[in-house]
Amino acid sequence: MRLGQTGDRDAYESLLRELLQSLRRVVGRQWHRAEDVEDIVQEILISLHGVRHTYDPERPFIPWFMAIVRRRIADAARRSASRRMHEMNVEILPETSADEDAKKKTEGNTAGEAADQVRHALSSLPPAQREAVELLKVQGLSLKEASKKTGRSVPALKVMVHRAMKSMRRTLE
Amino acid sequence: MTDPTERTAQLPKALAGDADAVRPLPGPHARMMAWFLLSLSFAVAAAWIIGPRPDLSARLTDTFFIIETAAAVLTSMMAAAAAFCSGCPGRPRWEQFVALPFVVLWIGSLGFGCLGSLAGWVENGGQWAMDLVCFPYIAAISSLPLLLILTMIRRLAPLAPATTTGMATLAASALGAAALRFVHVRDASLMVLVWQVGSVALLTGIAAALGKTVIRWPHEARQHRLIWSNRQTDATQQQ
Repeated sequence: MRLGQTGDRDAYESLLRELLQSLRRVVGRQWHRAEDVEDIVQEILISLHGVRHTYDPERPFIPWFMAIVRRRIADAARRSASRRMHEMNVEILPETSADEDAKKKTEGNTAGEAADQVRHALSSLPPAQREAVELLKVQGLSLKEASKKTGRSVPALKVMVHRAMKSMRRTLE
Repeated sequence: MTDPTERTAQLPKALAGDADAVRPLPGPHARMMAWFLLSLSFAVAAAWIIGPRPDLSARLTDTFFIIETAAAVLTSMMAAAAAFCSGCPGRPRWEQFVALPFVVLWIGSLGFGCLGSLAGWVENGGQWAMDLVCFPYIAAISSLPLLLILTMIRRLAPLAPATTTGMATLAASALGAAALRFVHVRDASLMVLVWQVGSVALLTGIAAALGKTVIRWPHEARQHRLIWSNRQTDATQQQ
């Protein structure tokens, strides 16, 4: 880290690579989904990078590093708890369509094909509309949360999603 | 879309590419002394401009006055040290509470003075004097020290943001309260306890509540700035 603070990029990169394995182990003790572990590990590395000037070269490195790790793991746990409070379990999935033919046609597709079509329709959207759909329809954020995350106003997001759904429907037809 | 494990593996290279040389922050004690000396100069100048109290030379020979003022100044110094330590990862946790004994000494010395003045206060009918002048004076004398310490703590890691901003504000307002004793004639300890310590506690509480807004992780602060600029763009487009 001392070399990293002086601008030695190679030394800094090898330090971060070395930390990666122990980070995955530490985070993996508390989080079991691989995606969550990777997200938190990335968050910790970015946080550490942002405050590397707070490391005092006269003091040991591990306590400095572990203090950041513990803080970021606690932040992730808090975020996850607040997200869980807004989620709802659905036991019976809604009907895909009231029309029997359309239903057969839709359900006849394999899940993979349907997913590919939706992905294609999503990728053909302009970036701002795609971001709005991903946040509101894929990640299931509320309008307020999505507005906070993107900085766009709630009415602007509503308009974007409306337009996006319209053009996705056209693409899927 | 890239696999998350793959993305993590690419991160060290990406971060190293952005790793310009950085100057390590000076130690918390050096920063505390720098802040204290600058702030003390300002507080002395502010007290001089407002005008020293007429009985100052007599008060300077009063042991209680000296103890109460010294306790407020020590509270200010230790709270500043606690604020700087709380944002340096890896430092012992007890450092965050180093100001507490001095806060107890300060409030205790005022409380002890209260016992003496309590009898007189009851004899006078137990009237509360509204001493609202304390709050604006403390706020004015503390303004520059507070601005200075808030600027200094923004570069710290937000490990305990409420403690960091709370202690920083306690440092500035306790210094303001100490300086106020040299200009403000009210010396009944009960009034000082309620109005001066009350003002300090109010400012400290507000700052602690705003901790997470004041100090953020640098990448989250950048995200926040981006959100604001997006909001501005949306507002302009809607107009």
